[in-house]
This record gives sequence, structure tokens and C-alpha cells, in this order.
Amino acid sequence: MSRSLNFKPSNDRATKITLTFACWTTAILFFLPIAWIIATALKPKNTVLDIPPKVLFVPTLQNLIDALSFSNTLSYFINSIIYSSIAVLLAILVSFLAAYSFSRFKPAGTDFLMFLLLSTRFVPAAAFVIPFFQLFNILKLKDSFLGLIIFYTMFSIPFSVWILKGFIDGVSTKFDETGLVYGAKRPHIMFKLVLPQVRSGLVAAFVFNIIFVWNEFLFNFQLGGLKTYGIPVGLFTSITKGGQVDWSFVASIGTLYVLPLALVIYFFQRYLLVGLTFGTVRGEV
Amino acid sequence: MTNSSLEIRELSKSYGSKPILSKLSFAIPSDDFAVICGKPGNGKSVLVRLIMGLEEADSGKVLVRGEDVTNSEPGSRNIGYIPQTFALVPHFSVQKNIEYPLELLNASKEEKAEAVERVAELLKITDLLAKKPEQLSGGQKQRVAIARGLAKPTDVYLLDDPLVGLDFKLRERLIDDLRVSQEKLGVTFLYVTSDSLEALQLAKTVLVLANGTIVQQGPLADVYDNPTNISTLDTLGFPEANLISGEVKNSVFESSTFSIKTNIKGYSGPAVAGIRPESVLLGKSPDAVVLKAQVTLMENLGSEIVSYLKVPGTMLKLVVSRTDNEAIKALNSNELSIFMKLPSIKIFNKQSGQWVGNGVSLV
Repeated sequence: MSRSLNFKPSNDRATKITLTFACWTTAILFFLPIAWIIATALKPKNTVLDIPPKVLFVPTLQNLIDALSFSNTLSYFINSIIYSSIAVLLAILVSFLAAYSFSRFKPAGTDFLMFLLLSTRFVPAAAFVIPFFQLFNILKLKDSFLGLIIFYTMFSIPFSVWILKGFIDGVSTKFDETGLVYGAKRPHIMFKLVLPQVRSGLVAAFVFNIIFVWNEFLFNFQLGGLKTYGIPVGLFTSITKGGQVDWSFVASIGTLYVLPLALVIYFFQRYLLVGLTFGTVRGEV
Repeated sequence: MTNSSLEIRELSKSYGSKPILSKLSFAIPSDDFAVICGKPGNGKSVLVRLIMGLEEADSGKVLVRGEDVTNSEPGSRNIGYIPQTFALVPHFSVQKNIEYPLELLNASKEEKAEAVERVAELLKITDLLAKKPEQLSGGQKQRVAIARGLAKPTDVYLLDDPLVGLDFKLRERLIDDLRVSQEKLGVTFLYVTSDSLEALQLAKTVLVLANGTIVQQGPLADVYDNPTNISTLDTLGFPEANLISGEVKNSVFESSTFSIKTNIKGYSGPAVAGIRPESVLLGKSPDAVVLKAQVTLMENLGSEIVSYLKVPGTMLKLVVSRTDNEAIKALNSNELSIFMKLPSIKIFNKQSGQWVGNGVSLV
């Protein structure tokens, strides 16, 4: 018995409509929790726990204003922005230098070194907490921006090196060699000739790492302190007010927390693909 | 002391146990257009990298303008470089790409503008200066790459097979441009290629690279007419030369195709007779090797036809003009006679590849 397989996309209108409908339904289902949080943040406080839930309501910004003006909320935001952005930018700079070296000079055992680099991410984060807690206490880095920046930079480097090496490998060494024979020094070649050609990789590394650092809770909670807590810890510590959960507050902080990341992902989503494939499909960007 | 622009002394390079270049030496005089021609895999790229300082030689010396630069940084050798791949910086405009070597020399704005204008006019790319490399065709990119190489104010330029991969018409135009550029600038060009036609069209001096060394060097006509090594005959010329294996005994070359007396002295043993396709002629002639032949294939090259002929013991190539009606008629017959004048039959030592003599008379 013979069987033929036909992978050609169907041109049938009904099939197209069904598939489109299925895609949208799935996407909406996944987006529903986010929509629920945003809706709760915009609902008047006294209607949040109504049964059945109110789908139609007059939106209010009062919950968001209250959340922002509550105690340390604003400073949590500022803290998150400070340590995430500095750590990720620093990690990308260091990773670019490392990736360039791995790509161009190919030190002995490059493949193994690259594996070792990423292997730090194999270990569950919880296994690192106690040693880092002790180390940060000894070095007096606990509850300091410097400490958090060092930690998050270190944690962001392995994945960034992997992404950027893929991109730099794709830039012909002829550029380096042409620069060298015309008298350019290595830093000039790296930053003037190669770096602009791996811009997609830099953005991909930035997006991936900012998602990780912005969302990170455990180490911010253990290694940070009142001066340096970011939004995830702030949300956790403020979740109960007056002995009960203030859902409007939680939803408002959640909405404000998701917003910057959602914007970053929305505008740079095409770079997520190149990041996930370590630059092998950078032509798509 | 030397008046050579570029001199290579006993340069050797191996990768692991595999020798790539062995004791390679040559010298290029000032203002010459020298072409190194070698078949792919003969070490041309490695030689370019050693001259430019992009790799270290195992032994030997590189001298530029008489100065030993073997251990100098690539940028301090002051050689204009035109790479095989365009390597145009994609985020620079054409103008900025051309200016790039001057920018690294901290040239003034006026110097850069003057150099760009000069080379852009020379290579007819003035209208492309504001464009980005991605907006250019392959030929335009190559012109820009050549312009960038020539913009560097120096007197020695190394061109690493810059026309490879370009279509025929474009290559013809660029070959003209390169010849004109070299003459107008009055500088030394060392052009490296695996294309023997390019070598024949461009070279004043030709150097044949084979088995990791320069087997012959000299003015193009001399090298072409008097190959001292079988690699020269095999590498330089289009279509490729006819090679017939045989044996030399008592100055007689014997093969299954023909036997002739030669002027070889002091050599007996395996040998190869080499005859250029243009030295294989239609018809008969006294004091020439005459053979019966059958045409197996004809290739139309436009102005010429290359015929592949079956003769006793081997195949031979022959070239005739497309306007030669008598020749075309002969080639279309079932069997024809061909002849080769005896002095045009060059005999080489099969082992060393060295030329040992020519044909002088029939046996």
C-alpha cells in the first residue's frame, strides 16, 4: 500500500479561516491571565471580587496611582531599572569581547570552554543562593547596587557569549584582515568594523537578559535588601496589606511590572528568534 | 641591497606535517605588473597571507622596498591590499569604504577627498560614492574594493585574485581598468590568480607557482614560449597543453603516440612531451610528427573552436579559428591528419618536471 503525504499549504478558504480562528483562540487563551491582571488593575476596588466577575466596567486609574504612591513602590521600580539595565549592558560589553576572542583567536579547547560557560546555567539557582549569600556578606556587597550588578552581569554573560559568538562567526574574518593590513588596531576592528555588523545579536542578547534580570526574584531577595529590592521582591513583600491580600494593589503592581518588559518584547520580538537560534537565522532580522 | 619592490627569500610554511610552501623565492622589480599564477591548492592564498603578515612563516624572509618586514605588523608593511572577497564594510558608504585606508593613516579631509576622486575616476565609480555596498552589483563592489586598495598611498599593491567569480564581460572590463590603473599610477602590482587567461592578459612578468614554490619566472612571452618546467606548460595557457607520457632513451623520446629524436643530453628515463594546442596543426608537413586523428568533441568558444582529437595512445586538443572554413570542414570529416612541428614538442623529466629538451627530427 502506498501513501502520499501532501505538505502543501491549503488554499481552501474555509481551512484558512478555521486555522486563523484556532490561532487567535490559542493566543487569546494564553493572553487571558495578563488581560485579567490588567482588567483587575483598572476595575474600581469594590468590584474586583464580584461574583460573577464584571466584564464591563468603567475603568479607573486610581488603583495604579495608589500603587505607585504606596510606600516604596517607586523606589522598587527605580532599583529594578538601575540594576537590570546596568548589569545587562555591562554583560553585553564583556560578552562581546569574550565572543570576539573565542570566534577569532579560537583558544585551545574553545568548544569545551563554551560548554563550561553555559554549564553554570545547568545548576538550579537555589544551589547558588547560600554560597553567594555568604560571599556577599564577607565582601560586604549585600544590599548594594554594586553587588547586584556584579551578580546579574555574571549571570547574563554565558548566554550572551553564546549568542554573540554565533553572530561574530557569521562576520567574515576578511573584515578583520583588511583592517589589519590597512593599519587598524584590534579595538578599532572590534568596535568599528565587527560590532555594527552584529547589532541584531546585541539586541537579542539584551532582550533575553533583560527578561531574565527584570523577572529575577530569588537572588534579589537574598542578596539585596531594603535599599536595593526590585519590583518582584517589592510585589512579594507588599502583597498583603492589613492582613489580607489587596488584589487591586497586586494587579496594579503586576500591570506596571509587566508593561516595560512587554514593550521591549513587542518592539524587539524578531530578535528573540535570532537569539534562540544563536544567530543562525540572523538573516531573518 | 636590492631595487626590488618586493622580494621573497626561501619562504617556507607547513600546516602540521603538510608542507604548503617550500623555500619559495622571487623578486619583483619596481613598477612591474607581476602575476603569480598557480592551480588551486598550490599555496597562493598562504603566500598572500605571509606577504601581508597575516600569518607567520616557518622560515624565510619577506622584503618590501629592500626592508625586511618578516616580523612586522601587517599594517606597517605599507602594501596596498585588494582581497579576493570584497570585504566592503556594509555600514560604510562607498566613499567611506574607499577613504578607510587613509582614515587609518590620519589623512586630512582634503587628502581623503583628493584620493577618493582620483581612484573613483580611474575606476569609473564616481556616481556610486554615496551608496551603501548592499546597493551595488557584484562588479561595482569589486570596483569599489579595487578603488579602496588603490586609495592607499603606496607603491606596492597586492591583488589577491580579485576577479574570481565575476562574469566574463565584467572581468574583461576590470582587466582593462587594472592595466590602465597600474600604468597611470606607475606602481608595482603583484596579482595572484589561478586563472591562466587573466595571467596572460595582465602580466608583464609572470611567476608560475606549483608544488609550493615558484617554478619559473620571467617576461610573459619568454615563460610562455620556453617553459622550463612542466607545471608552467600545464598552468599557463588556454586550453591546457597536451601532455604525452613516454620514455627517453639515447636522446630518443618514445611513446605510444609518436617517437622522435631530441636534443636531450645526459638524461634517460620517464618523460612527458608537452605540446600547446595551438602547435597542433591540421594537415601534413615534412619534418613534423604527422598523426591520423578522429574528432571526438568540438567546443565553440565564439571566435575559436577547441577540438578534442583521438590519436593513437592518447587524446589531443587543437584550436582553430571559427573563420577558418577549411579547418572547420576538415574537422567535420571522419578522419583527418594533424601535425606537430618538432621544436614545438617540449620534453620534460617526468619526476622533477624540469625541461630536458625539444624534438629535433623524426626517428
